[in-house]
Amino acid sequence: MTAQPTAVGGLQRRMRVQRVILGVLAGLVGLLFLLPAIWMLLGSLRPGGDIIGSVSPLSWNTLIPDVWTLDNYAALFGPLRFGQAMMNSLIVAFASVVLGLVITIPAAYALSVFRFPGRELVFAVLVVGFMIPFEAIAIPLAQIFTQWHLDNTYIGLILPGIGNGLAIFNLRQFFLGVPGELHEAARVDGASELRTMTQVYLPLSVTPVINSALLIFLAQWSAYLWPLLVVSDEKIQVAAIALSRTFSDTSFNFGQMFGGALVISVIPAVLLLVLQRYFTQSVATKGLK
Amino acid sequence: MEAVQVIDEVGAPAKGVPTPASPRATRGVRDTATARGPRRRARRAWLTAAAFLAPAVLTILLIRIIPFLGAVVSTLHVRDGVGLLAEERFAGLQNYVDLLSDPLFQATLGRTLLFNVIINPLQIALALAIAVLLTRRVPARGLWRMAVFIPCTIPLVGSSIAWGVALRADGPINGILEFLGLPAQPFLSSPSQALASIMLVASWVGIGYWMIFLVAGINDIPDELYEAASLDGAGGWRSFWSVTLPMLRRPLLFVLVADTVANFVLFVPMQMLTDGGPQNSTTMLMFDAYRRTYTYSQPNQGATATVILTVIMLIIVFVQFRLLKEDRG
Repeated sequence: MTAQPTAVGGLQRRMRVQRVILGVLAGLVGLLFLLPAIWMLLGSLRPGGDIIGSVSPLSWNTLIPDVWTLDNYAALFGPLRFGQAMMNSLIVAFASVVLGLVITIPAAYALSVFRFPGRELVFAVLVVGFMIPFEAIAIPLAQIFTQWHLDNTYIGLILPGIGNGLAIFNLRQFFLGVPGELHEAARVDGASELRTMTQVYLPLSVTPVINSALLIFLAQWSAYLWPLLVVSDEKIQVAAIALSRTFSDTSFNFGQMFGGALVISVIPAVLLLVLQRYFTQSVATKGLK
Repeated sequence: MEAVQVIDEVGAPAKGVPTPASPRATRGVRDTATARGPRRRARRAWLTAAAFLAPAVLTILLIRIIPFLGAVVSTLHVRDGVGLLAEERFAGLQNYVDLLSDPLFQATLGRTLLFNVIINPLQIALALAIAVLLTRRVPARGLWRMAVFIPCTIPLVGSSIAWGVALRADGPINGILEFLGLPAQPFLSSPSQALASIMLVASWVGIGYWMIFLVAGINDIPDELYEAASLDGAGGWRSFWSVTLPMLRRPLLFVLVADTVANFVLFVPMQMLTDGGPQNSTTMLMFDAYRRTYTYSQPNQGATATVILTVIMLIIVFVQFRLLKEDRG
């Protein structure tokens, strides 16, 4: 009788110790990745030239500015018109996510659930599709887009981002793990494939859909070469290009550039922080052994 | 052709329940279409599939594959003169012969393979370790996940320049080394360290990205499997090998293939930090192709390098699909 509680207490204490160790480890890993970004953030809060001046010799001043200023951000959102560019990036990225999911989810569903001749060939084509380095085809593709009068349009920026083979691959890997019994049961009940996909598969697939959305979002958010080639009108230019206004071949404004880079990173980072609340264990695998 | 075959083998047991303990026979499922009115059913199945696939396949064909075929055709031509406007004439495999017999290009090929042999397993192992850590019950794990993820949300041009400052001879990283009593290192200016420095930057960026897909995969593993493993007396380490890893095959295949492709086509850090140097030590195939196309204005040679790169990736991805083939039976 008395041995039992102490054994449980010992186990609990061991688990608590383990939790603390893991917590410290997690914090260290997080800080390791975050530290360069923190250095960039603090660098963006000091006058432009100070970043280079402060790196050597190493002191508190390397990290903590002695003169704090918001000048870099004022310049970014003032003369460098970062606000407008961020808005354009948001429009392009969100439209790409919506359209991209609308076309990649059914494709991934078809490639993992349907049986039809040529299925593996289609999948192989998609795999090759995402392997092709975009830089290799960007110039001829930009010429075609110009012929189609898609240059300087949102559509011209959005279109290359929606047929995302990686997103299809990611979703396919998940759909392959959904038990076939669920599909058969829905079909026996008379549900169409479209309904089976939207009402049986999608509710189980929140996590991979979020990941695929992030994947499409980030690909568009960080696109640089393509907007450079198809957009010359500053009114629809995107943030990644606006960032390049902070430096030229001969001069860098490090403070502005770090600030701009971080401003660009805030939106996807917050998206992840919010969306991972919906990272759930899928019901499909939970109920089955 | 070969790639198609492998993918066929991976795709076939699609409906298997992903439990390592039950590699249930799933191969029979493929034959169900032949049961009744085979022709009509097959045609209907094909039509439904076409409707689901058409939008994605068409955009990918139009925006990726067809322009790439155009690039492949251009590798069979040479230009008399330099630049986009120079006249082209058909030259067969001349570009391939020229490149592959160039010792500098051969060295670039070898270096690219070495870079990938090191960086891909390294990034995936670290991403997996961090994903395992950040799916345990640790305080504020959502915040730490975001911290690890942040580097890949910073535009690569920006983070490359920041790392360029951090890794300078008189930069803060060397400052820390000196503070610890260690000698300063020529991170980006020595041929023996530049590549490792690029790997550091690329991993700082990439690990958080791949972690997210592995976190999703780990979340999807049923708790019951861990409970069963622990009843069998398996500790944390053993249940990682006997439960986590086998259950992660599908997300791992995705991460392995996608990370490999990402690292093969990576060139911004090389361009911003070392410009392929010193002594070509960071010149990778993609950087070489980019430089031929955009800096030297030799698009045909650039396209040739890209096609060679794509063929190499295809072979490696083929092997990866084969290695992580599911439900081997």
